[in-house]
Amino acid sequence: MQFVLDHSYLIPLLPLLAAVVIGLFGAKILRGASHWPIWLSVGGAAVLSFTLLFSMLGNLEVAKTGLTPAVFHRVLWFDWFSAGQGDQAVSIQAGALIDALSVTMLCVVTGIGFLITVFAAGYMKGEKGYWRFFAYVGLFISAMTVLVMGDNLVLLYLGWEGVGLCSYLLIGYYFSKTEAREAAPKAFIVNRVGDLGFLLGIFLTYYCFGTVTFFGGVEAAGGQTLGFVEMMKDPAAHVASDRLWLLPFIPLLLLIGALAKSAQFPLFVWLPDAMAGPTPVSALIHAATMVTAGIYLCVRCAPLFYAYNEILILIGVLGCFTAVFAGSISLRQYDLKKDFAYSTCSQLGFMFVAFAALSPVAAVFHLITHAFFKALLFLASGVVSHATGGVLDMRKMSGLKKFLPATRWLMLIGCAALAGVPLITAGYYSKDVILVGSFKHSPVLGVMMLISALMTAYYTFRLYFRVFEGPEIIPAEANQQQDEHQHGSHATDSHATNSHAAGSHSVSSLAAGSHAGVHHHGPREPLIMILPLIVLAIGAIFAGFIDYPHRDKSLGAFLGSSPSLSLGYEVAEQTYPGKIQPIPFGQNGAEAGRDEAKISAERKLHNYMMVGSGALALLGIALASYYHLFNRQALAELSRRLGSVIRLLEAKYYVDEIYEALFVKPYAAFARLTQYLDYAIDGAVFAVALVPQAAGATLRYTTQRGYLQGYALSFLLGLAVILALMFY
Amino acid sequence: MSSPLVPSLTLGLCILAGIGTFFLLPRAQKNVSLRAIGGGMVAVAGVAFVLAMIRWAVGLSGSEGGSGVGASYIYFWIFSILAVAGAARVVTHPQPVYSAIYFVLTVFATAGLFVLMAAEFLAAALIIIYAGAILVVYVFVIMLASEATEGGGIISKTVGKTSVLTDFDASSREPFWACLGGFTVMATMLFVIFDRAPTLLKAPAVEQIPQAIRDASNNLGPTTGGIQQLGVYMFTHQSIAVQVAGLILTLAMVGAIMIARKHIILTDIDGNISPAADASVGPMLDVDDNPHGVEVTGTQNPNQKEYPEL
Amino acid sequence: MSGFTQIVLHHYLAIGAILFSLGLIGFLTRRNLIILFLCTELMLQGVIITLLAFATFHGNLQGQAFVIFALVIAAAEASLALGLIVLLFRQKQTVDADAWRELRG
Repeated sequence: MQFVLDHSYLIPLLPLLAAVVIGLFGAKILRGASHWPIWLSVGGAAVLSFTLLFSMLGNLEVAKTGLTPAVFHRVLWFDWFSAGQGDQAVSIQAGALIDALSVTMLCVVTGIGFLITVFAAGYMKGEKGYWRFFAYVGLFISAMTVLVMGDNLVLLYLGWEGVGLCSYLLIGYYFSKTEAREAAPKAFIVNRVGDLGFLLGIFLTYYCFGTVTFFGGVEAAGGQTLGFVEMMKDPAAHVASDRLWLLPFIPLLLLIGALAKSAQFPLFVWLPDAMAGPTPVSALIHAATMVTAGIYLCVRCAPLFYAYNEILILIGVLGCFTAVFAGSISLRQYDLKKDFAYSTCSQLGFMFVAFAALSPVAAVFHLITHAFFKALLFLASGVVSHATGGVLDMRKMSGLKKFLPATRWLMLIGCAALAGVPLITAGYYSKDVILVGSFKHSPVLGVMMLISALMTAYYTFRLYFRVFEGPEIIPAEANQQQDEHQHGSHATDSHATNSHAAGSHSVSSLAAGSHAGVHHHGPREPLIMILPLIVLAIGAIFAGFIDYPHRDKSLGAFLGSSPSLSLGYEVAEQTYPGKIQPIPFGQNGAEAGRDEAKISAERKLHNYMMVGSGALALLGIALASYYHLFNRQALAELSRRLGSVIRLLEAKYYVDEIYEALFVKPYAAFARLTQYLDYAIDGAVFAVALVPQAAGATLRYTTQRGYLQGYALSFLLGLAVILALMFY
Repeated sequence: MSSPLVPSLTLGLCILAGIGTFFLLPRAQKNVSLRAIGGGMVAVAGVAFVLAMIRWAVGLSGSEGGSGVGASYIYFWIFSILAVAGAARVVTHPQPVYSAIYFVLTVFATAGLFVLMAAEFLAAALIIIYAGAILVVYVFVIMLASEATEGGGIISKTVGKTSVLTDFDASSREPFWACLGGFTVMATMLFVIFDRAPTLLKAPAVEQIPQAIRDASNNLGPTTGGIQQLGVYMFTHQSIAVQVAGLILTLAMVGAIMIARKHIILTDIDGNISPAADASVGPMLDVDDNPHGVEVTGTQNPNQKEYPEL
Repeated sequence: MSGFTQIVLHHYLAIGAILFSLGLIGFLTRRNLIILFLCTELMLQGVIITLLAFATFHGNLQGQAFVIFALVIAAAEASLALGLIVLLFRQKQTVDADAWRELRG
């Protein structure tokens, strides 16, 4: 433990070194072996992270009464920069903040990251830019770990930008495809909007508090060193009185950044388009890790957010709206990956709602389980596209359960987790906690979330029944691919007739399916791709038990030892006196001091909700099975009757078009205007340059014409002038 | 001494003469009347200048007195008018041969002026060298280097006859600027001479010509005349300059021959290159440092020294 | 009329100046190479007259000696110039001074 703490810089450093090595040597030397540095480094980082986790768990002291004592370690890495002089001097150091929250995030990032890189080694096999992919992934994981481990806002911002950059690089990995080329800048620019808010928030933080460090760092009155989060316990004591009114804007600005990164309304438009990248990228970045950075930021600065009711209302409204909105769009998406992308938006909305409903532990819990099953779902759809030659359109395939048997079971587990099938899936438990919390906070909110949960169950199983059940329809590209076996890119464009040469894994294929007349030149479900899925599936089932309520060393109790949550609890108590439940903040000990009647009422509500959400999930599954398994014709009739609604959903509520008209076109016009201005300025400069040219040409053509007598005439005229001047 | 030849008058006369010359200079549009007008203007300016000079001289003599040099004064005017008129025609006549002839006229007039200044040797030398040698060569070259103008020259109608000119003869380049510059210079020089010079120079100089020379010119008898004195002076005080002058002439002669020679390849009747040609070109000799390696064609006279043995 | 008879230095200087200026104008104006040089000679005439006038004025023979050397130079120069003109004529078959302007620009 102490070793890891001392060498905590290794966690981001190892993947970064791997990325550098691959970047330098990958193209010519490593080539197909480019995954080895990544496996080793990310695996090493994962090992370190889990070491931290287990040792911190071992040291966890769960208070029986009162607040859980906050445990955190700060490790200074290096002095980053200093600027300014005198009393305006700013000095930023880079260091690690190791506490329960960051360790949890680290484990998620490195663990799932490792599994995905294993998968990607099989999925991307044969790609021309194989090394490039892994270099970017290494860079990404390094930046993500910096993000979750950073001990101040600026370092977090560095990681934030780093993951944004890697997202851009990886979305645009297939740069020869138009969608990828357009989606990558879109993601980057939309995130930039959020980054602007984030940056302003950082500035405002420094302006008000005098520090950007989360915990510990600045000398404050009383001889303690406090970070700004700690200062939120008593802001008036630490902030100049003429700046107090600015304080509510800090969480607002930070929220803008979180909204962009976590793809909430109104800055979610980049996430569906980001599916143009390779499937492992979608799984890693846009499901499990990067999009959770927004949640992480909010939870990390929880005291700051919980001090202001209005901010929480805003978060709740936006999260709820996104959950319902994105879920509704997902009802009519035909592309597997886009379906899951909108689902991710929706689930992130769940997490934000949980946070706003004063249940940060629920938000983090759902984050963990969502990482498992969403990664599983994305990777499974990656196997599907791998096998069908790049086809991902639900309308073009059906009944693949014999074609891809292992994938079918894994996908089923993932869908069940997403839908929240009761008791046996992790998703059920985490979603349940959220529903309880939101319902308790505000019944309206709870009802909306229930509706969203119903929709989630429906569209998830719609996808499953469509793709894996029913009459068997294999897209033509699958056969072509097996016969031709060329190298190509894994396009999500369902019109591309590309093919993928299955690797030469001589391992036993789990694809025991036999299609007469189709020759495989490699397993349809290579082991290297299936193994990580199995691990993820196990997590999707059993991860729910890490927060089984009333356990001693549950996730909640662990997270409660993070100062973010314990301080958040205290601040929330001030904002909502008497209405806070300690357990959602992980303060299991504080439970003891509360009113027994209240506690039992809450328990009863919790039980009702467990039953209710389970029933809803089953209802959703039943609806999906009716329309997509048993009676697909009924769906056609329903669509005819709800025609306009369906069209609206299919067009994604025209959000992209609205944004285009509102923002993109005016900006493009403005850019063109400045281009013309530029021409004018260039022209002016050029005109100025023309003057000496013209003067020179004039002189040349008048006085230097090569005639001897002309020159003599010039002499004479000069002489005449001089003489006249002298003597007259 | 106050000068009736005020600067403004000089300037005005120069302007007038300038414009006249401008019109007089050959131009492509054959506008005889214009040229006549130009000539008239020049003539008027010249006469006015002469009268002004007379008046100026009158003003001079009024203050200081002194006599002229006998009857030579009238000849001064004759010769100077001839010289100036001749020079004007040299410059403005379109046909080259006529320019040369007018130049001869100018030379004669100048020689006359020299005689008036008691430098009769120089007058003779001027006529012999300039009119007798240089101008003759000029006329030869004009003849030699004349372009054929049968194809289409420019018809120029002067009084009484038509002639065919080449276009570069018929037009002049930049007449306006040249006249402007030239007459400005002339005006300034005249202004300096007549208005400023009196403060720099002393009074009229004719009286101070050495008595001997003056006597010689008046008496026209055999005395130690100007030429003898000049000769003595030159060969005692300027002897080196005389040697150098001779050298220059030699160089000029050699140079002229080198410049203008043609390499002629002698052929005999049948068109073969004659051996004499080869002989004149000569064989290429190897470079040899031996001073005795090259046969010296010298004299056969036994009294002459042979090439010394080294 | 004594002014009419009173020929002084200034008159000769004036004649010299006039001849020189006329020669100058001719040099700048004429396009025929031969006449060009002729006008140069004309300028020299003017200078000679000035030299002699000053010789007479100062009462010594230096000016006259100078004139002799000027004549020598004039002769040498005329011969060389005319040789060059012949060469130039051979090159371009014209004695137009405007034919030679390769140094333009």
